[in-house]
Amino acid sequence: MVGLVTALGFSGCKKYLDVNQNPNNPDSATPDLLLPTAEAAVSQIVGNAFQVYGNMWAQYWTQNPGSSQYRTIDQYNLANSAFDRPWLTLYRSALVNADLVTKSQGAQLEYYKGIAYLMKAYAFQLTTDAFGDVPLTQALAGSVYSAPKYDPQKQVYDSIFVYIDKGIALINTAGATSPGTQDMIFSGNMTSWKAFANTLKLRAYLRLSKADPAKAQAGIQALYQTSPTFLTVDATIKFTSTGGNENPLYNEMTSPTLAKVQNLVASSTAVNQFNANNDPRVNKFYDLLVDKVGAVDTLTSIPQGSYAANTGKKVSPPSALVGARADNPASATAPVKLISAAESYFLQAEAVARGWTNGTGNVTTLYTQGVTASFTATGAGDPTTYLATAPAGLTALTTAVTVNDKVKAIITQKYFAMCGFQGFEAWTDWRRTGFPTFLVQSAASTIGAGKMPMRMLYPNSELTSNASYPGTQPINIPVWWAQ
Amino acid sequence: MLCAQQLYAQNRTVSGVVTAKEDGAPLPGVSVKVRGANIGTQTGIDGRYTLSVPSSATFLDFSFIGYSSVAMPIKGGAVNAVLTISASQLGEVVVTANNVKREKRTLGYATQSVGSKELTMGGSASPLSSLAGKVAGLNVTSTSNTPGSSTRIVLRGGTSIAGNNQPLMVIDGVPVDNSSIIGGASSLTAVDFGNRGNDVDPADIDNISILEGPAAAARYGARAANGAIMITTKSGKNGKTEITLNSNNTFSSILKLPDWQNEYGQGYMSTSNNNSVADFTTGIDDGSDNWSWGGPFTGKVAPWGQTIAGVVQSKPYSALPNNVKDFFSTGFSTENNLGISSGTDRGSFYLALNSLNSNGIMPSNKDLFQKYGVRFNGNTKFSDKFTAGINFNYSKISSSNIANGQNANGLWENLLQTPRDIPVDKMSDLNNPYNAYGFTDSKGVIRSKQYGYYNAFALNPYWVIQNFSNLDNVSHVTGSFDLNYKPVKWINVEERLGIDTYNDRRRLLVPKYSYTAADESANSALWTGAGALSNNGSYEIDQFNVSELNHDLMVTITHDFSKDFKTLLLLGNNIRQRNTNSNLTSTNTSGGLVVPGWYNLQNSNGPVNVITDAQTIKRQVGFYADLTLTYKDFLTLEGSIRNDRSSTLPKNNYSYYYPSVNGAFVFTDLLKDSGISNILSYGKLRASWAKVGSDTDPYQLFTTFSKGTINGAFGSTTFPFGNVAALQAGSTIGNNTLKPEQTTGYEFGTELNFLADRITFAFTYYVNDTKDQILSIPIPNSTGYGFNVVNAGEKRNQGIQLYASGMLIKTRDFGVKLNANFTKNNSKIVALPAGVSQIVIGGFNGMSIVAAKGHPYGEFYAVADSKDAQGRTIINKSTGLPIPTTTAQYLGTYDPKFQAGWGAEFTYSNFTLDAQFSMKHGGVLYSQTKDLSAFVGTSAETGGPRYGQPFPNSVYLDASGNSVPNTSIFYSKQDYYTDLQPGQNIVDASYVKLQSASLSYTLNKRQLKSLPFTNLTVGVFGNNLFLWTPKSNKYVDPEVNASGAGNEQGFDFAALPSVRNYGINLKVTF
Repeated sequence: MVGLVTALGFSGCKKYLDVNQNPNNPDSATPDLLLPTAEAAVSQIVGNAFQVYGNMWAQYWTQNPGSSQYRTIDQYNLANSAFDRPWLTLYRSALVNADLVTKSQGAQLEYYKGIAYLMKAYAFQLTTDAFGDVPLTQALAGSVYSAPKYDPQKQVYDSIFVYIDKGIALINTAGATSPGTQDMIFSGNMTSWKAFANTLKLRAYLRLSKADPAKAQAGIQALYQTSPTFLTVDATIKFTSTGGNENPLYNEMTSPTLAKVQNLVASSTAVNQFNANNDPRVNKFYDLLVDKVGAVDTLTSIPQGSYAANTGKKVSPPSALVGARADNPASATAPVKLISAAESYFLQAEAVARGWTNGTGNVTTLYTQGVTASFTATGAGDPTTYLATAPAGLTALTTAVTVNDKVKAIITQKYFAMCGFQGFEAWTDWRRTGFPTFLVQSAASTIGAGKMPMRMLYPNSELTSNASYPGTQPINIPVWWAQ
Repeated sequence: MLCAQQLYAQNRTVSGVVTAKEDGAPLPGVSVKVRGANIGTQTGIDGRYTLSVPSSATFLDFSFIGYSSVAMPIKGGAVNAVLTISASQLGEVVVTANNVKREKRTLGYATQSVGSKELTMGGSASPLSSLAGKVAGLNVTSTSNTPGSSTRIVLRGGTSIAGNNQPLMVIDGVPVDNSSIIGGASSLTAVDFGNRGNDVDPADIDNISILEGPAAAARYGARAANGAIMITTKSGKNGKTEITLNSNNTFSSILKLPDWQNEYGQGYMSTSNNNSVADFTTGIDDGSDNWSWGGPFTGKVAPWGQTIAGVVQSKPYSALPNNVKDFFSTGFSTENNLGISSGTDRGSFYLALNSLNSNGIMPSNKDLFQKYGVRFNGNTKFSDKFTAGINFNYSKISSSNIANGQNANGLWENLLQTPRDIPVDKMSDLNNPYNAYGFTDSKGVIRSKQYGYYNAFALNPYWVIQNFSNLDNVSHVTGSFDLNYKPVKWINVEERLGIDTYNDRRRLLVPKYSYTAADESANSALWTGAGALSNNGSYEIDQFNVSELNHDLMVTITHDFSKDFKTLLLLGNNIRQRNTNSNLTSTNTSGGLVVPGWYNLQNSNGPVNVITDAQTIKRQVGFYADLTLTYKDFLTLEGSIRNDRSSTLPKNNYSYYYPSVNGAFVFTDLLKDSGISNILSYGKLRASWAKVGSDTDPYQLFTTFSKGTINGAFGSTTFPFGNVAALQAGSTIGNNTLKPEQTTGYEFGTELNFLADRITFAFTYYVNDTKDQILSIPIPNSTGYGFNVVNAGEKRNQGIQLYASGMLIKTRDFGVKLNANFTKNNSKIVALPAGVSQIVIGGFNGMSIVAAKGHPYGEFYAVADSKDAQGRTIINKSTGLPIPTTTAQYLGTYDPKFQAGWGAEFTYSNFTLDAQFSMKHGGVLYSQTKDLSAFVGTSAETGGPRYGQPFPNSVYLDASGNSVPNTSIFYSKQDYYTDLQPGQNIVDASYVKLQSASLSYTLNKRQLKSLPFTNLTVGVFGNNLFLWTPKSNKYVDPEVNASGAGNEQGFDFAALPSVRNYGINLKVTF
């Protein structure tokens, strides 16, 4: 024992005390390990939190009267803290890891960086579309800016276009290392990523169609001058039934806290429209109600937010196809569509309808392709009859005279295609265009007549920790591009 | 020279033996001095001495620590002395930092000791809970007070904002880990697995000495900032062999349940109808509800529960006042300690075996606590110069625990959801379909996915107890090896290697089930939420290994410059290494179990979930010097300096120095000849000042990466994802410019004894201030990170503490002793990092416990009902209901404004009666028990008229915002109490407790003569016996806590009720 002391002495002390290297966590990470986190984080947001908000505010789904988890969403009565988790996932799981990939050092990393720039653009678009003005220029630099300022949405969009262009340039590099399966979306297929980049760019410019149509038109025309390819397949991660790798909404519903309680059920807003068009997709998006004693299976919906008036009523749940049926394990493998093939066609159709494509593309063809892609995705069979007979089918487009009426037909069809799959995007299109026109105020609304949810609230975590916090905007105030 | 020659010339030799009065045993080490000359010696092992004295000498002074000094006239060559153990504090010996024994009169800081008898009189299995109410300045919180439950101890309010606030715990000189690792995912679903400081058997403890401030504990360095609890265990005595059997048989029962209403039963009002008269025309008598918001009791027989195969049960619709109380049974535990001690002049030992077997108040054997332990303390003298010792304690614990909180396994949460007419205590038969989950119907079909329990919102508590398990196994070793070398009589070299190591293995079992209601009645709403009760099940193994190694080398140099001026110099070195290893693994979070009932990680449905796999190592090296100067035994001055080097700090900042000084002045020594000493027999003034630096946890300096995991609100996406692996940026930005935290403390005090020490009194004023706290502060998530490690923040505690005791009556047969203490501590968060107004210590979404700038530590922060300037509740004119405040409010701290303890001991002949009370005044707690019993309409506050009354003491605001007293706008209690603001569940935590009491009968020497015993005591005892709370707390024992011994206190998040313990004790010595 005495020897121990002597050996240490004063001089040996430094070495003896040099044990503060963290053995539990690595102090560096290569881009191939950070990229999957960014992709999965974006999918978690689109497929879970924003899926619930989006599908409820786009009125595909409403709160089950027999449970209560999402009542405040139907009430439009949300605390800032309700958005702590989505904001955290966006900045600390998606954006910071994508940003670290774009900044990684090393040879032949162009494809990683290119995809990361596209993920960054996609995630910032999600963030700003949800919250309006958000931190960007001073964000993701915790050791430099501990109180990042909020940038106007207009400038956030400028940066999104820059990120997409950087991404495209990097993807076009020849001979870089392929990310392979570490790219969970396209397994390193750079042709698909290029189509993704062009489609994302088209989506972003169209978002400005109301607030800054000149910029939108110029941007889209410039895009079409590059002879762009667009997505013809869904951009999605393939989820599995393995625990933790399931569709994020299903994973959420089967968590010990929610314990498979079916909170989400069919809203009459969407169901009535599907029925009015005799749309076969409705029985794919929702499950028929197998009555315990009765013999007739029915599709039952309730008006948006009417849980209080329907106490005890059994309502059809969304199907496993869209990952929202809590007690059907098939929900686990439902895709999360970051951009769907149907959406890609409808985006192109809208650009053509607005006359912004330098004459490229046929609106009817693209419209039909959009509907067909949706029927294929839902397994609803051949859309020919539907297109020919449904009031919202081809007639709606072909009888449209004005650009606005054409856009109305396109966005309405896009709305049907996005049911359950892309709720956030559908709500966002509605905020931009006002289409479809059949959305109603939730019966549970607490925010006064005529007011609708037009944004998400800044999270409580920013309110309490960011000295640059700009103040809470009420939920019914539109973001810049919807004004 | 001349003088000296003269002296030498006339010397003569005196010798003798010094013995103890109590047992006649020779006393070694007694100081023998010639009065008026600087000549002296010490007695040897046999108590003998030989001294050469000048012929002029007339008296010899004999003195020994712990004994009264004696002066004997020198008559002839043989002078013997008999010393008596000192009854007063004059000779009281205190174990100070690093196990240095010091006379209390020389200490410049407050200390208090608690002896074995005081500690064990209440029969508590927890040595830390046994301190409650006995020590000034010490705040003890005993949570559920069952064997194995957590006890939090804090001295003078603690120093830290976010870190540890409990004092350092030292057993026989060895620091031991007293942290509490709470079980379960969070404090909302916690399982109390206790804290390791409670593992030492109270019967093995000789005494506990409490070093309250940083000055007292400065020699321990960084860890002393919160003071220290020094536990000394028993040792063998020279010449005496003893066998002692100490046996406690203890019963336990619930101390406090909520007050219930007994007017309304199961059901609810279908629509809120605040202005209706108090009838129940719109009510729904739903026999499948957990609400007790139904109509007034009628006594008529009515159906209840689910309809199974067309049959429904019925019972009278009337209150069952004891349905919850009768659910619990009486707990019983047996605790035995068998100790053997012996000693000779060459060495001594103490060997003890102990066992504790407890089956708690739950109606099953699923709340078990079993502890077996062995202790061996021994030392041997190789020579006069060389001594070696060993201390060893091993405890083996296995326990089965019931969870707190709001998960499916939270028993209390499930039980509280019982309407007042439901005979929940009669629903233990899980083969009865009406009580069971999954049953055989009348046609013999096994309805495995259906349940018949009467309500759809809670689980049958009996089923919860049977199917969920929280098991724990702990092996805990503490011990030390000591070597003592005394080359010359003024130098002592002590070396000690101490170890504290434990292995804590927990297994958490959650059953897999999926049930829907069996109810076939027409209007049941039960099955609209498909799978109304379902769980994929889980199995989790949590393994913690903690070991701490301390090596101490201490050199003590004493030198008496003259008989009036003495010095004591300590030079020491401490090397400390702490290793922790935590490995938490469970079956797949979302997949759960494949096969129900098979609890094994191999049964994971999907990849096994590694929750934590972390090991840490921390090393510290400290050097210190401590010099004590004593002048004429009445003036003592002590100064110390310590240098610490810590592995956790940046290399250029890892070494830091800090000093302390203290002084004691026994002023009554100057008044000996005045008349004052007849009244004031002893008086001391003391003062101290100390600075202590603290380091931090390992690995705070650098930012790291972690495994990719993306959390949703409740679910998550985890990696590996198929074959794809991923990492992500860590949550905390490290800081490699950290510097140590700094605590500065000072105190002043006095100790006064009156009437020949029959009455003693002590007073202390103290201030402790900790700056540059190392905090992990939240930063905006938009930075890409969640936390930043910084040096910032300041917490201050100041307060006073008083202690008094008195021997009121003392005759041969009858005695009355009283004691009392009082503490007032004010804590304040003086500063926090720029831009941060508060740091959250605990709570949940909607109610936080915070350290907020300008507020006391541990404030509750939540939205409450809004009040006008006169404290009246502001209501909404249309609903009659209170309007919530627009922002969260500060609603008070969990720390009491003041606390006190008092007690008395009566002795009469062979009987001793002892009672000790404790009180806390002025703190608050958050009670989920209140919230939930209000929500389901069972608590007393939900009784009385439920409709057609205005909210008590309420106003509404007119158009110009003025308060108008409300007498006409009515409210519905159902609407109010089913949606209480979190702030309305903050309850006054004040209380008075009969902390412990005992009545014992000890056989006297005459009675023992014919028996083979040297001592026999039988008695009855109790602890946590009675509780008085203010009228506003009709809910819980304010000490219960869902999160153990951490900083998150006052948090009754459906915490299990606390118990009172009472039993019989037998103590036999052979």
